[in-house]
Amino acid sequence: MGIWQLLSVELLTAALGLGLLAVGLLMPGRERRGLAYVATAGLMGIAAVAWAMREAQGVVLNGYIIDPFGTYFKLLFLASAVLTCIASFDYIGRLPRGEGEFYALLVLATLGMMLVASAGELITLYLGLELMTISLCILVTYRKGDMKSAEAGLKYIILGALSSAVLLYGLSFIYGATGSTLLEDIGRVVAREGVKPLLGVGIIFVLAGFAFKMAAVPFHMWAPDVYEGAPTPITGFLSVASKAAGFAAFLRIFFGALPASHGLWAELIVALSVLSMVIGNLVAIPQKNIKRLLAYSSISQAGYLLLGVVAFSVLGVGAILYYSMIYVFANMAAFTAATAFFNEDGSDEIADFAGLARRSPLLAAVLLFSLLSLAGIPPLAGFVSKFYLFVAVIGQGYIWLALLAVLMSMVSVYYYLQVAKAMYFGEPPAGRAAVRVPLGMQVALVVCLAVLFFFGLYPTPLTGYAFNSAMVFLGQ
Amino acid sequence: MANRIERKSRLGEDLLIFWGRCSKILYQYVVVAVFLLGAIGVAVAALAANWLVRPKRPVAGAKGETYECGLETQGPTWVRFKVSYFLYALIFLLFDVETVFLYPWAVKFQVMGWFAFAEMIVFIGILVLGLWYAWKEGALEWK
Repeated sequence: MGIWQLLSVELLTAALGLGLLAVGLLMPGRERRGLAYVATAGLMGIAAVAWAMREAQGVVLNGYIIDPFGTYFKLLFLASAVLTCIASFDYIGRLPRGEGEFYALLVLATLGMMLVASAGELITLYLGLELMTISLCILVTYRKGDMKSAEAGLKYIILGALSSAVLLYGLSFIYGATGSTLLEDIGRVVAREGVKPLLGVGIIFVLAGFAFKMAAVPFHMWAPDVYEGAPTPITGFLSVASKAAGFAAFLRIFFGALPASHGLWAELIVALSVLSMVIGNLVAIPQKNIKRLLAYSSISQAGYLLLGVVAFSVLGVGAILYYSMIYVFANMAAFTAATAFFNEDGSDEIADFAGLARRSPLLAAVLLFSLLSLAGIPPLAGFVSKFYLFVAVIGQGYIWLALLAVLMSMVSVYYYLQVAKAMYFGEPPAGRAAVRVPLGMQVALVVCLAVLFFFGLYPTPLTGYAFNSAMVFLGQ
Repeated sequence: MANRIERKSRLGEDLLIFWGRCSKILYQYVVVAVFLLGAIGVAVAALAANWLVRPKRPVAGAKGETYECGLETQGPTWVRFKVSYFLYALIFLLFDVETVFLYPWAVKFQVMGWFAFAEMIVFIGILVLGLWYAWKEGALEWK
């Protein structure tokens, strides 16, 4: 396959992002709404191209790897970007200005994530990560004039810069210890010479840098405030795609290039996973704001995903892939429903969701089922994905860890059902009309629900795809 | 279960080896540390000697004024700068960096052929799009 064909997904995404920016400049302010449709259609088209390339394998200029693993993550990013676009139509349309840039930035952030997922070289990886972080920074502050949005932006840019600095520092150590920025060469050097102390320091810094991106405890402190202040669709995108990008890069570096150093970081990952599950789930209980609740829930989800890393096997990687894809649909459905509610009532408080079942049965049902999927209740897809992760860690002898994860899942059912209780048993405030949900959003919500039920009842197609990608990735 | 215990003990061994290597490398860095301390010591000693032997007269008259560093300030210096300065600075920086890339390209232009030419056109095109955006959004206007 030629270079152009291998890079077609990234090139098309870059062209779409720049094209949106240029077209947005040519259009007068009021007509920029059309850009949302262009962005959505464009991203869907690119997803089709990525799907056609799901089996493609090749290396561009030594440092850019196209493989089923990377393409799986690209499909995941594209799916979440499409859902974010659809969720943003009305939300962003109500803001005074800047629709052209919004969709361009969203597409460019997606491009950054794609680079992260495919990078086989440290500097390319860092470049992709920065493209993603800086684009997301602007998107987080998109509610101009809103204090919380400004606070979220400030926190995100400062802590994002800090985590980038830590990561870059670690990458420089790895370069210093191995003499190369190519993951392939690094892997060869480490396999030959073992883990030198300098490399060990680098690995720990890189681990911390990625833990920031994944929002794993104790590197989670930015997440709740940023999630609360950011525009709701962007919060969904941040919690889903940016986390997945962190995991993609983590797996590429630690499983692809540094499996020889497993002994050094294995116990650290167990600690991160346990802390994330326990603190994320317990602190979620007293939350009154749906966005903060979902923020802590997403921290705990990072803990579950880390179980797959603990397992350090094909089953573990496959489970991470499966879990993160299902997580996209469950979490984006919840955030889209929250966005629709915010557009109508202007509130994110769980108490205001009272009686939502009577005002909009669709929104209430979607929110209920997506939260139940996040909690891992059968027959929803969240159950299957958690099941794979638990099986993967039990296979490595970590029975106590699996028990703890199950226990914490039960805790999560409690706070997820608090929302359901408000929606189904609460009284709707007097004089409030039914919540209007635009057609595009309805379609997106129904598709998300369908995905959650379909892969919950019949997981084989996605399982096959995820585990095959994992097998090709680990070369087995 | 046995498998697990074995893994644990392997981890302990790994850590021991790891620290052993750590101390060896730290020992190699002792030379660097001595050199660093020496360098700092020489600088501090020179400054201290200077301070000890120099005549100490109070600063007065023209000696206390700003010296070869631009104009004398008018009014308070703690004023807010217009945010447009930063936008200008950013755009300036952008094209500064572009120049850095253009020089080597221009030098090797004939050797590298059409591919490099097309590549540079794309690169400049993206930057021009950025400038166009900044222009249209009023970043270059001074209001």
